[in-house]
Amino acid sequence: MVQIFNVSIFFVVLRESLEASVVISVLLAFIKQGVGKSADDPKVYKALVKHVWVGAAIGLLICLVIGGAFIATWYTLGTNAWGTSEDIWEGVLSIVASIIISIMGLAMLRLNKMKEKWRVKITKALEGSKVRGKGWFRRFMRKYAMGILPFVTILREGIEAIVFVGGVALSSPAKAFPLPVVCGLAAGSSVGYFMYKGGDYMKIQYFLIVATCFLYLVAAGLFSKAIWFLQNFVWSHRIGGDLAETGEGPGSYDIRQSVWHVNCCNGLTSGGWMIFNAIFGWQNSATYGSVLSYNLYWIALCVSVMLMIFQEKRGHYPFLKSWTEKRKVAKRAREEKKRLDAMYQDLDAHETDSETKEVSISVV
Amino acid sequence: MRVFSLLATLAASATVVLAATVQYDFSVDWVQANPDGDYDRTFIGINGEWPPPPIKCNIHDRVIVNVTNNLGNEPTAIHFHGLFMNGTNAMDGPAFVTQCPVPAGNNIIYNFTVDQPGMYWYHSHYGGQYPDGLRAPFIVYDPDEPFAGQYDEDTYLSVSDYYHQSIPWLTANKFLTLTNPTGGEPIPDAALFNNSQNIKFKVEPNKTYKIRIVNMGALVSQYIWFEGHDFKIVEVDGIYVEPTDASMIYITVAQRYTILLTTKNSTDTNYPMIASFDTTMLDHVPNSLVWNVTGWLTYDENAAFPEPAMIDQYDFYDDFNLVPVEKEQPYEPDYQVSVSVKMNNLGDGVNYAFFNDISYVAPDVPALYTVMSSGNLSTDATVYGANTHTYVLGYQEVVEIVLNNLDKGTHPFHLHGHTFQVVERSPAAPDANTYLTYDSANPGTVNEYPMRRDTVYVRPNGYFVLRFKTDNPGVWFFHCHIEWHLEQGLALVLVEAPLEIQSRQVIPEDHYAACKAGGYAYEGNAAGNTVNLLDLSGEKLQPKPLPAGFTARGIVAMVFSCISAFAGMGFITWYGLSDLKSTELEVAEALGEPLDDSDESK
Repeated sequence: MVQIFNVSIFFVVLRESLEASVVISVLLAFIKQGVGKSADDPKVYKALVKHVWVGAAIGLLICLVIGGAFIATWYTLGTNAWGTSEDIWEGVLSIVASIIISIMGLAMLRLNKMKEKWRVKITKALEGSKVRGKGWFRRFMRKYAMGILPFVTILREGIEAIVFVGGVALSSPAKAFPLPVVCGLAAGSSVGYFMYKGGDYMKIQYFLIVATCFLYLVAAGLFSKAIWFLQNFVWSHRIGGDLAETGEGPGSYDIRQSVWHVNCCNGLTSGGWMIFNAIFGWQNSATYGSVLSYNLYWIALCVSVMLMIFQEKRGHYPFLKSWTEKRKVAKRAREEKKRLDAMYQDLDAHETDSETKEVSISVV
Repeated sequence: MRVFSLLATLAASATVVLAATVQYDFSVDWVQANPDGDYDRTFIGINGEWPPPPIKCNIHDRVIVNVTNNLGNEPTAIHFHGLFMNGTNAMDGPAFVTQCPVPAGNNIIYNFTVDQPGMYWYHSHYGGQYPDGLRAPFIVYDPDEPFAGQYDEDTYLSVSDYYHQSIPWLTANKFLTLTNPTGGEPIPDAALFNNSQNIKFKVEPNKTYKIRIVNMGALVSQYIWFEGHDFKIVEVDGIYVEPTDASMIYITVAQRYTILLTTKNSTDTNYPMIASFDTTMLDHVPNSLVWNVTGWLTYDENAAFPEPAMIDQYDFYDDFNLVPVEKEQPYEPDYQVSVSVKMNNLGDGVNYAFFNDISYVAPDVPALYTVMSSGNLSTDATVYGANTHTYVLGYQEVVEIVLNNLDKGTHPFHLHGHTFQVVERSPAAPDANTYLTYDSANPGTVNEYPMRRDTVYVRPNGYFVLRFKTDNPGVWFFHCHIEWHLEQGLALVLVEAPLEIQSRQVIPEDHYAACKAGGYAYEGNAAGNTVNLLDLSGEKLQPKPLPAGFTARGIVAMVFSCISAFAGMGFITWYGLSDLKSTELEVAEALGEPLDDSDESK
């Protein structure tokens, strides 16, 4: 089962599509609320909505094409060039995957924050898109701003997803890609839809909490497996060709490093145990390295979460209060300066240009 | 009546007068040599020469071998393979069975009579020492042999495998270590004919040569044949057999075959003679290994020396079908020793060999010395230790050894102090997952007059049945003669008629002196306990088995990992549920002031 559904890919795609669908739902909510003079004209409303969807669709299509091409090239060029260093590749890739997932995972729990942030960003973008200058490109951008924004967002999220998926899953067989990608897209889109509909915030948040817990179980498992692969590499080189003969029995593991060993339930080869291996990093033959790394990962995560909660409540990390204050002040000063500069530029432009200060989006 | 007994006494004394004493003084020391021309290494030699000199005597002679260990860094002990040592068990030689190892700088005297004709050999019986060089033929001449006068010259030929590295180094680094979990035996570097290669075995036309062949190797059985010449097998392991025509023999380590080979009547060309490894006994066959060794029956030095021809298969004579000259029907057994041969890993990760579930571990006190110091308790197998796998046998009985080979290798087994009838030997099992085991209700092929010898092989996944008479009180080792397997513990001990040993035999003082010099215990049970012979605390035991499944350590690790995971998920949940408050804060900030673009979550 694990051979056609790679859990890590699912979660990466879920996360990216969540972000993308948040952007779209915010845009659609804006349009509903009357941005772009659409409150007055239902035709304008429908056209704007169409722009959003078309932009999103084109972005998605391009992403799928690029992603598919990337995966196909990678696999036809042959991933079996690992040979005897397969264990090292598995180990390193698993660490990379674990780190990527760990960093982006907690963001899922700040989806509402994400939504607000996007709302503000989009507002600024729409306000600030008094795209000055003539030229047919600038006019095109103005006209289809509502479509370009989702297009660019989806393109960026999609490329990010491809890169992350690549980092997370290069050691999987090619047929483990389509199913989790589809499932991830479906799940992400449905959450975005619920947000647009203004659905029960708490229910979404519970779903996101459970999803994040799973995500971090997978990441912890990956980290533990990475250390296990590296130790396995060292052992297989010490006993040379014998590894093939020993199977799961005595000699297939280093007795001095062993924390537990059972002659069955191999997480890399046997049925249901492979799911345990994928989600929890279960190994039938655990080493000190794999067990310690698993526990250290969780400890590190707990510490990170505590720091993040502290920061959110107090506005700064522990012991860094004055440093954070200084940075904030400097930042605000820069923002203020930018705003004043823009205002002066505006005044200049207003004198030479016949255009108004209104949000210049015209619909044909 | 009295005249008759007087004549008998005269006859006996005549024999005694004719029997000589042969004395050898051996200084065991290190010698440089290069037998395969490829690698110069240090060997254990005798009196400064390697190969060590053969011992030669006539039947009924007394042989005295005075051995001084001048190795400086290793003890030693010498076993005279195939000799019964009847009444002189202490001279048999295996360390911790009939003597202590002789430490460097000390000496020991082996003094015994030889009442058996034929070809034997002597070799070190301490650890895996003999492949490092201490092995050579022991030839017993018999003017009354059945084929006397049928040959022109009596000569010998040895074959062996050969390792470039020393045995202690190979054992510690390549063999008995956890990085060799399958127990793969080290691969020999070459094959040798008479401790050399490409030998020229000089022969004259139209003559018959009696060639005594011995395999002095550590591991590999060899096929031997002489191109263009057939021969007759006339003796195996000291047992005369009805002359049997053959063109190829299969000789395991420690076995001997004596053949009569008649040469051709022309000196046109020379004929290759080949010894070839049974490569199925090797763990793997490296590309660099040349597993044959060649020599030539040299009729004419100036004639051609052709290369040996390749053959498709080995067509050797199965020694099971040899018929002894002194024919005996199969004995009726009084007592059965039944063992299964297994290989497995123990708790230190190393691969060991087992008879049933016991892997032989040498005791603190040599078993023979335990016999001599345990009085009536010598008939209780307990005193010999839990890990020496000792059986106590009665006197003048017939003992049957049934051995089921649960391993897919061929093993040559040797019994000290006896020859035995090979009553049955199964073929190899048809595949690696089937085992042929002895079933007394469905016996296999039994010959009318079973073949007898002292070293016999069992086939992969097969079995054999041996029978012998306990007419030789003594402590006798029964073990696989592959040195690697002996190191892995494939051995057991037969204490035959201990009370007779006590009453009839004496241990010479110099044997005990060697124990004292080396700091070894020489009295008491296997643990060295002289007070309470049934108390074996402190005895040497085999390593504990591998832990099966979860130990305490594993359970603790699993519990802690689960706790960490739940703690982590708890924190994540806390973080998730605290979103509301912080989001409101952020929104307020955002509406009031420009939002900070450098967001942590991106």
